[in-house]
Amino acid sequence: MLEIKDLRVSYGQDVVLNGIDLELGVGETLAIVGESGTGKTTLGLSIMRLVEGTVRGTIRFNGKDLLTLSDNEMQRIRWSQIAMAFQNANNVLNPVYTVLNQIMEPMIEHGFKSRDEARDRATELLRYFCLPQNRFTAYPHQLSGGEQQKVLLAMAMANDPELLILDEPLSSLDAAARAEVANLLRETDKHCAKLVATHDLDTVSKLADRMAVLYGGKIIEAGPTRDVLSRPRHPYTRALIRAYPNMTMVKDLQGIKGRMARPVSGCPFHPRCTQAIDICRTKTPRLVWNKARHIACHRGGIITLLSTKNLTTSFGSLKAIESVSLNIEAGETLALVGQTGSGKTTLAKTIMGLHQPTEGDVYLEGAKVNNRGKDFYKRVQMVFQNPGESLSHRLSVLEAVMEPLDIQGIGAKEEREKKAIQVLGEVELPQTRDFLNKYPHQLSGGEMQRLAIARALVLAPALLIADEPTVFLDASIQAKILKLLLNLQEQRGLSMLYITHDIAAARKVSDRIAIMLDGRVIEEGPSNEIITAPKQGYTRNLLRAASALRSTGQRR
Amino acid sequence: MHIDLKKEIKESGPGKTGLFILLLMVAMALLAPVIAPYNPYQQSTTSLLPPSLSHWLGTNHVGQDIWSRLVFGARTSLLVGFGVGILSTLLGTIFGVSAALVGGLYEKVLMRIVDAFIVIPMIIVIILISAYIRPSILTLILFLSLLSWQGGARIMRAQALSLKERGNVAAAKSFGASHFYIAWRHVVPDLGPILLVDFIYGVRRAVFMEAGLAFLGITDPTVVSWGMMMRDALSFSYLNVWQWWLVPTGVALSLTIIGLTFVGHAAEPVIEPRLRGAEVA
Repeated sequence: MLEIKDLRVSYGQDVVLNGIDLELGVGETLAIVGESGTGKTTLGLSIMRLVEGTVRGTIRFNGKDLLTLSDNEMQRIRWSQIAMAFQNANNVLNPVYTVLNQIMEPMIEHGFKSRDEARDRATELLRYFCLPQNRFTAYPHQLSGGEQQKVLLAMAMANDPELLILDEPLSSLDAAARAEVANLLRETDKHCAKLVATHDLDTVSKLADRMAVLYGGKIIEAGPTRDVLSRPRHPYTRALIRAYPNMTMVKDLQGIKGRMARPVSGCPFHPRCTQAIDICRTKTPRLVWNKARHIACHRGGIITLLSTKNLTTSFGSLKAIESVSLNIEAGETLALVGQTGSGKTTLAKTIMGLHQPTEGDVYLEGAKVNNRGKDFYKRVQMVFQNPGESLSHRLSVLEAVMEPLDIQGIGAKEEREKKAIQVLGEVELPQTRDFLNKYPHQLSGGEMQRLAIARALVLAPALLIADEPTVFLDASIQAKILKLLLNLQEQRGLSMLYITHDIAAARKVSDRIAIMLDGRVIEEGPSNEIITAPKQGYTRNLLRAASALRSTGQRR
Repeated sequence: MHIDLKKEIKESGPGKTGLFILLLMVAMALLAPVIAPYNPYQQSTTSLLPPSLSHWLGTNHVGQDIWSRLVFGARTSLLVGFGVGILSTLLGTIFGVSAALVGGLYEKVLMRIVDAFIVIPMIIVIILISAYIRPSILTLILFLSLLSWQGGARIMRAQALSLKERGNVAAAKSFGASHFYIAWRHVVPDLGPILLVDFIYGVRRAVFMEAGLAFLGITDPTVVSWGMMMRDALSFSYLNVWQWWLVPTGVALSLTIIGLTFVGHAAEPVIEPRLRGAEVA
């Protein structure tokens, strides 16, 4: 019904939409998702031909190209066949008309209804949206924000349009009204196609069958709402979801590094992307069909950074880990949870090449790892379980942090020193000369742990394996270190294999959780699913035994 | 492993005595040209003189001043001793540590060679070979070193095996460090005290060996050596010259060896595992 091809809109030099392709069938709801300033509203306005900039491309509506229609022809379609509910109700509603009159206006103007018929229809619509009777004759400024929003929706639906463009339809509503209006919108005329422009993922999940994520004037990912929300494939989509407070996810909120910039050569997201490679800077990726998803990314979406296949490590007859197959995606945290002796550390050390596997392989970015040389260790780093032991007592703080750079032979001495001091700042350790010359035994447990983390980060690895990084620390320092790791993930796109016996801590930092028992991974999945719907009895036991702040009297 | 070697030696009576004797010997060797009144190779016709003010320990059968020869003999003894000590400890460390870190076939082959060397009685081999090549000081040092690093290598390997399991070594490996880097930065520094003990025993063995070989007359005859002096003195055992020729030389040699033994003994707790119990994690 609606087919948009290569739509480009610019205001002077400023390109807002840069080649949008999308299709919308009869009665379908498509959500356009993006941060403010990505051009969602412009897209709606372009379809309405209300945009003030230069518009190129084609917008086919029931076979007619809206962009080539005369103003008169467009006038006939606008508001009758295509209607739009604007975002900012306050500016759209005319302050000198009552609510009822405002809704009647488009019906009369387009000559569909007589005055009385229009009044009936308007009343019916306002009732439908549950506006109290005594508000019908009120003036817009007398209404609350939520009520104004309902009026706008009623207005847009007045002429039974075939296509309804909704710009942030639920944003100004409170949670209860939101659910109510969302329901009403879903229920309305099943033949009416809806294009929902919003930054709000809750709106998307409540209204849309399909969603398209807009960034920098381009669609970067599109697919069925449920799939995209539960398993985002574009780094931006994932970041957007991670930044959105909701009741489904258990991980702490994370932002997206940097700010949206325009214009950008190459992929619009590359300055903020943590897995950008050279081609991302120079060439704009096309939206292509890739593994059941439309995605615009040179790397085919979020890459799998490291995976193990059937990894088994035996010590004599004891199988410390058995047939472990795991994937770690770029920029995600996989928590490995299990009791002591379940093989967590052995798995970590086998990945690091400190133990030889008896069977199975490790793959880094899809390539099998045979001999671990400096290149491998530059990408994969580990924070060992006991920082006091993993730091040489002969090396000062500065020497310890510089050691990986020395070994890798990166840069001149001054450069290494600069890098080392900088990374100490990143983990919030002092950068004073005095501190740099201290030795490990002069540091507190928390400082040593940070030092160990700093040392693992100084090579800017893509994957950090953190083996119980907070086990010796008290809760306040643990919280700081976990926050620090999440921040680093946000800033650098660090992937993490977070090893812990503490499922309560794991749920706060991980995207996925794998449960280990006796050397095997017995259960693995998104953190929220593991936490709320564990399949294995052992996992349920772990959850039951996990820290909770209930008094014994209330425990059920 | 925070055992303070200095403290270890200072706190033991024999340790202090040993160190004192050693320092005395070293001073004597270093200051030989100042202390010795004559050129030790200078001959005169007045041979076999008893001690006097001009010749404190008399002269020998070719009229050389015995005291001067005794002083210069310390140089030979200690030069060979320290030379072999340093070289054999170096070899022992290289082979022992590398065996521990590299492992595999290299380690197996190397350690079997070490075992073989330890089983064969070296003294016989040394005498046999020396008899043919008549080694100069330098060759003697090389030769003795090549035959005496094996015991040290065994100890170093055992220690390195335990050191390489430490967290800091695993961390260094995880930065991509080479065996050499790990050995140099993380293993050898922690071997320090053991190296010293190995070194001291190496010196002692070499001093003893040098004297023995010289006594048998199978070293370079143009170099003054305590062993050679004793051998010369013995051939005049029917005269009373042994009192100022044989005895002082024997005492000098014995003192040196006793000094080294005392120091080594005092430092020994360092390689005695039971005394390190608390330190091993």
